Formats: sequence, C-alpha cells, structure tokens
Amino acid sequence: MASYQEASHSEPAKMEQIITEFFAKGLHIILESRCPYVSSRNYSCEQVLSSPSPSSSSSSSSSFWPRDKWFNLSLRDCPAALENIDLWRQSNLEPMIIDVILVQRPVNNDQIISSSKSGHARNFSGKERVYYSSDNEEFGSDTKREKIIERWVLQYESKRSGVSSGSKRSTCYSHILFNKLILLMRSLYATVRLLPAYKLFRDLNSSAQIRRYNLGHRVSSFVEPFTRIEEADMQRFVFTPVDTSCGRLCLSVLYHSSVLDVSSEPSTPISPQVIQEYVGSPLAEPLRKFSSRPMSQMSPASAPFGRRHSWGYDLYRASSPLLNPSPSPTYSESYASVSKQRSRLPPASLPRQLSENTPAIHVKNPSFDEYWPSPTFTPSPSASPPIYIPGSHVSNVLLRSESAPVSIPISSRAGISSLPNNQMLPPSPPMKATRSSVVKTDARSGLYKTSSTADKLLSFEKDEVGRMSRVESSSNISPPKSFSRSSSRFSYQDDYDDSEFSGPFVVDDDDMTDLGTRPGSFDQPGHPSGSREKGSLFPVRKSQHAAVGTLVQMLKKAPSLHQDISVTSNLLQGSKHEMPKNSNQDPDEISSTPREQQSTSVNFASSGLVSPKTTAGALEELCEYKEMKNSMLKQGKSPQA
Amino acid sequence: MNCEVCQLKELEVEHFEIREVLRCILHTILFHRALGLVRPKDVDLELFEITYVQCGDMELERKIDEKIDQFIDRVEKHPNKKNQICLSFYEVKNKHATWFTNKVERLFWEHWYINLNVMQHPKTPSGKSHHSKLVVDPGVEARGARRAALEASLRDVLFQIIKFVNEKKDHVPSIPNVEGIPFPYEITISRCT
Repeated sequence: MASYQEASHSEPAKMEQIITEFFAKGLHIILESRCPYVSSRNYSCEQVLSSPSPSSSSSSSSSFWPRDKWFNLSLRDCPAALENIDLWRQSNLEPMIIDVILVQRPVNNDQIISSSKSGHARNFSGKERVYYSSDNEEFGSDTKREKIIERWVLQYESKRSGVSSGSKRSTCYSHILFNKLILLMRSLYATVRLLPAYKLFRDLNSSAQIRRYNLGHRVSSFVEPFTRIEEADMQRFVFTPVDTSCGRLCLSVLYHSSVLDVSSEPSTPISPQVIQEYVGSPLAEPLRKFSSRPMSQMSPASAPFGRRHSWGYDLYRASSPLLNPSPSPTYSESYASVSKQRSRLPPASLPRQLSENTPAIHVKNPSFDEYWPSPTFTPSPSASPPIYIPGSHVSNVLLRSESAPVSIPISSRAGISSLPNNQMLPPSPPMKATRSSVVKTDARSGLYKTSSTADKLLSFEKDEVGRMSRVESSSNISPPKSFSRSSSRFSYQDDYDDSEFSGPFVVDDDDMTDLGTRPGSFDQPGHPSGSREKGSLFPVRKSQHAAVGTLVQMLKKAPSLHQDISVTSNLLQGSKHEMPKNSNQDPDEISSTPREQQSTSVNFASSGLVSPKTTAGALEELCEYKEMKNSMLKQGKSPQA
Repeated sequence: MNCEVCQLKELEVEHFEIREVLRCILHTILFHRALGLVRPKDVDLELFEITYVQCGDMELERKIDEKIDQFIDRVEKHPNKKNQICLSFYEVKNKHATWFTNKVERLFWEHWYINLNVMQHPKTPSGKSHHSKLVVDPGVEARGARRAALEASLRDVLFQIIKFVNEKKDHVPSIPNVEGIPFPYEITISRCT
C-alpha cells in the first residue's frame, strides 16, 4: 500500500487511490472489531516484540507506520483485511459487502470444547472469501447455526461528471474528499463499537469462558439479499455519502439489535477436567500401531504407560485450561501443514533454545508429580524389570513431564536422575525421543513468547489451522492444541518421516548425538553410566512411538525373566551387589538394577532353586514347588494336630 | 463560514455517574474533531456496557478531566440547577494588535451543548425547586432499570454525535497537517436558568 505521499500527483490518480483506500480502511476498521483474536487491539504484546509499535497513548508521528496515516487514523495490522482487499484494489467499482456471521452451537452439544481463536479461510471464489474461526469446524457443519447479524456495504457509486481533471476545482476535490473521508472513518470507528455485535466480539476475546457462539465474516462483492422478513428484524444505519468528483462513496450497515441475547446465555467456565480421549490416547486412536492394546491389557498400575501422551496434555493443563484434545481430522490435517510450515524455520536457533528452555519445564509445571507413577507399581511379569538411570538434574524434569516413565537410559545430559531405586518403571519410549518431544514443547512455548518470525509465518497460513493466535493471555489454546497433536504425531510407530515434521519439534542430529552415553544398565552393573551403542536401537529422529515399538520388540526377544531370576537367586545366596555377566543378556536390552531385580524376584528366588531353561525344566520346577507347598501345609497342620 | 450548533439530548445522571458520562461524551466529540493523525484508544465505561474512543492525547485527557472536576464542583455548590457543558471549536482570527487592545478574536464554527440533569441525593439539603429531583432509594430493580435507561440514552447521545458529524461536514475548516487536534477548542460550564 503506497503511502499518501507516494501517490501520483495527478488528480484522477489521487482520487482513485483515495477511493481505493476508502474500501481498505473501511474493511480494516470493521474486521478489526469483528474478528476475534485477529484484532489489532490484541496485538499489543506481540507487536512490541515484532515491530516497533508505539504505545496506545502516544501519537508521535515518528513511531507510526506509513500505511497507518490513511485518513489520519493509525491502526495496527489486520491480516483479515489485508487478505480481502485485493479485488477492490483492482477495481473499486465493485461493492464491498461484509457479512458478520454469528455461529451458534446447539445447547446439547456439550462434548465439543472449543474456544474462539484464529481464523480459517475457505475460498469460495475469486471474489468471495469466508472466514470462520477454527471452532466452526469443531462445531460441526450439521449442528451449527449461522446467522448474519451485520451486513456492511461499502460502495462507490460512479456517475459521469463534467468536471475536468485538470481544473483547479478538481485539484481541491481530492483534498476535500480526503478530509471528509477522515470524518467518515472516525464515525465508522466509533459506530462499530456501539453496535450490539461488538459486545459479542469483546466477549469472545476477553475471557476463557467457553462460548456457545462464535463470529465469522464474509467479504464479497455480491450476496443474496435479505428477505423482507429478515430485513424487518434488522435496523439500518446509513452514513452520509461523501461526494467525489465522479460519484459518491456510500457506507451503510444493516444490523440485528437482538444479538445480545446470545451473549447472555450461560457459558461454561473452563475448569480442569480429565479428558480420556485426548489426541494420542489409545481410546481415541485404537488403530494406532503403538502397543496401546498391550498397555490396556496391563495392570492398572501400568496406566501411566498407557497415558504415554498425556504428558503433552499435562504440560499445558496447568498453564491453560483451554485445551482441545480431540480435534477434527481437518484440524489435524491442517496442523500437519502447519508443521510443514514450521519446517521452514531455521533450525539452528532451535536447539539452543530447546536446551536453554529445558530446565524451565521443571519450574513451570510442578504439578506433574501427581502424574508420576506410583512407587508401588508392579509390572507384569512380561515387562522388563525397572532400571535405575542416573543422569543430570534436567533429565529428572523431563521424566516428570512424561506420563510413561522412561526406562531407557540415554545420557548424562538427558538421562534420568534421582529416580528412586525402588520405583518400578514399565517400558517406555526412549529418553531421547521423550526429551525431544518435551523439549519441543518448551520450544514451542518459548517460540510463542519470543519468536516473532515464526509467528508471522504461521499467522498468514490460510489453509491450515488458521491464524495461530499470538495472544499471550492464558486463554491462548494454540500451544496446547498443537502440542497435543504433536504428541499424537509421536505416536506413529513406523515409517514416519520427521523431515515432514521439522521445526520447533525437531531436535537436530547434533543434539541427539550430543546426548552422550546412555547409562549402561544394559551392560554391567558396576557401570551404570556405561556406554551405549549409539544408533543401534534408538536411531536419531525416530519418533517416540517408533522407539517404544522397538523397545517392545526388544523386550519380546529378551530372554525370559526366570533366567534373570536364576542369576538373582545366586546373588541372594551369597553374592554381593553385582550384576551378573550373563551372556544370555543382550547388551542392548533393558535391564534393571540389581536391587530392583531382587525386589521383583524375591519370591521366586527364595526357594533357592535354579530354574531350568526348558519347558520341561519349568514343569519340573513347578512340581517341586507343589511338593514344597504340600509339605509346608502338612507341617502347618501337624502342629495343630 | 457558519457556526453549527448541536444540542445533545438531556441526560439524567446521578452524582457518581457524572464523570463517566462526561468523559464519554466529550471524548467522543473530540475524537471526531481531532482530525490530525491519531492513534485511537478504546475505553470501556465501568458503569455501562459502552466502549467509546479517545484520540490518545494525554494532554487532552488531562484537560478534560480538569473540566469535569470543575463541573462536579459546580454541581455540588449549586445542586438545584441544571448544568450545561459547552464544547466549542473556533478559529483564531487575524490578530490585530492595536494600541489599546491585544485581543485575539475567535471565530467559532461549532458548539456542542451537553445537558446534564444531576439528580440530588436525598440527604443533601436542598430547597424545593422544579429543577431539582430528589432521589429516593427506589430499590435494586428500579435502580437497574434507571441505569439501563441511562445507558440507552447515552448510546443515543453518541449516535447523535455521529450523525451530526456525518451530516455536517462543510463547515469544518481545512485540516492542517498536524497530529491530534488541529483546531483550538474551549470547554465552558454554564448554568441553565
């Protein structure tokens, strides 16, 4: 948009430019106060970071953007307006009709948790675009009710005039026209805030209440006129037309005065609640390859492992109650595109940011401890015994953010520390993936707070989730939404190409390799921090889910538990704390600390019997146990006798 | 150049509502007359569900608050009278400094009259006058109804301002290339007899 100063000096060109800017400014003023969360009013925090915006009370000309000077009314950016003005820049003879649409959700549809954020564009044609909040998608196309509560019409009525372009009189016309349009824009700016729809807009913007309505808009050059009945319910306000040298500029609005009844409906205050079918949960996605079934068949104590992705939800539950864990498929798909968008972000800065922000997780989310598995957890016999993984303090934080305890040690940098030795941990995704996902979370939150480039890239994404709201207020649900979806992406077990899902959630190879050695509980008991074989089991960039799947496969291939029992029984018989150098153990397998093995195998080892390796041997052992039992029972009865 | 006059609809307000109502009306008028480059600031009334717009000039805000304080003082001193605030815009005529006078002539081109009828508190001693209206505690419902009526009236006044600004444009002087309010103005408090 060329500034007024840069306009051509010819009078007709000036007039035409003024008329074009009339449409642009009018659209800007209207959409700014009707589009929830894309209003420039809410850009105060973000604009401070991204652009040198002046304060609201300052009127210093040096701090204004050039384009704000049109009609001497300085307004912040309004992407919705910028995206819709193209047609009228080409031809200002087309009327501009702006419909403000109230989308209402039925009262009974309580399962949808939504909030009004962002916008999602659907192009109907080259001349018409409909913008809805992303919640309209979640409302469901069959259940929502749409009602046009305002219709703004901006029009240039051209007429042939005898005024020549070169006369002095016409020279003054542009100046007079500009001054009159200044007054018109001031009136428009005040009027949009006095109409009933403004209250709905403010309600949607202001609180974290779940509303049963939302506002959308449609900008077009032709619309179906209202019926007489519809128009009878509406009131009209007509701004005095402003004459030009060749016509006049008209602005009017038809509006409903009864929309305030919608806002007075009881809204649902957002309160923390447990959502079972969140994105990534086995209940929501039963077809996922990840072993949700085995997890569901496990004991209740193994539930934390089944809630493997709840950490993504948990991470934001404390910070923002507005969470939509069950997005529509469209939303998920659009999020995939957003992820692709993020892949264009420079990754160089992200790892540093990730590492810097990692420790902050601990500070921000102290409530994660409640999701930590109970110390009394007893894994099923098929599960691998828990392990102790020493590591850095940071790794402890990372564990806490993971609902499924990590049992795979990684490194001192990202390993798990300060785990109680008696804590039984079921198999879980590798720490590397966990760390990456958790750190990505924080990176994402960090990006929302500090990054402006990413936000700008995201904010203009039309076909995806929509405009990622950058409102930093607590009601911003975009981070939790996207994060829960990112965790769902982690649930893909195989063949998931992380190159499509790069950006803030991807940890570079350098980071992965820098994790160092994994605590060697796989290997020697005396070397808990022993080296690991890099790349053998936990290839870089493999999703967390895939890593878990690999782990499960390993566990299945692992020798049966009774072999370990035979080892531990030897330990109980006389040996000290010492990890047996059992060649049967696969060095890449997960193994437990000797103490934990003792606790799990104490019952089996108490007999002191050495368990055989074959089925026949097991049967024999069973028979021996039976005999022992019988003998003990007899001994118990005989004293009584 | 003619002088346009706009008599705004009379509002019945209680003492504690004076400040908010006057701020809303005065700033709305000035926003439509601060035709220089401005960065609008939305302000929500606390007593009413109305959002009005200020032009973001701190100096202007201070001056308006001063005038409102003066108005409130006058209302307290003369509770039985209707009070009126006049917001006028003028142009400075050619300054002709003479030997005897150095008077600067003002050429007014617009007057806005804001009429407020302040309802008196029953405890305040006041003589009987057809201009005064004693406020008897009406109860919560009646108070709410009165508040809603006042809000509707205030909204009407704001629309009245907008309509006047739209309909009368020709008398507005040429806008100089300055920020904020390019036209000098004055706010006077008068008494209605």
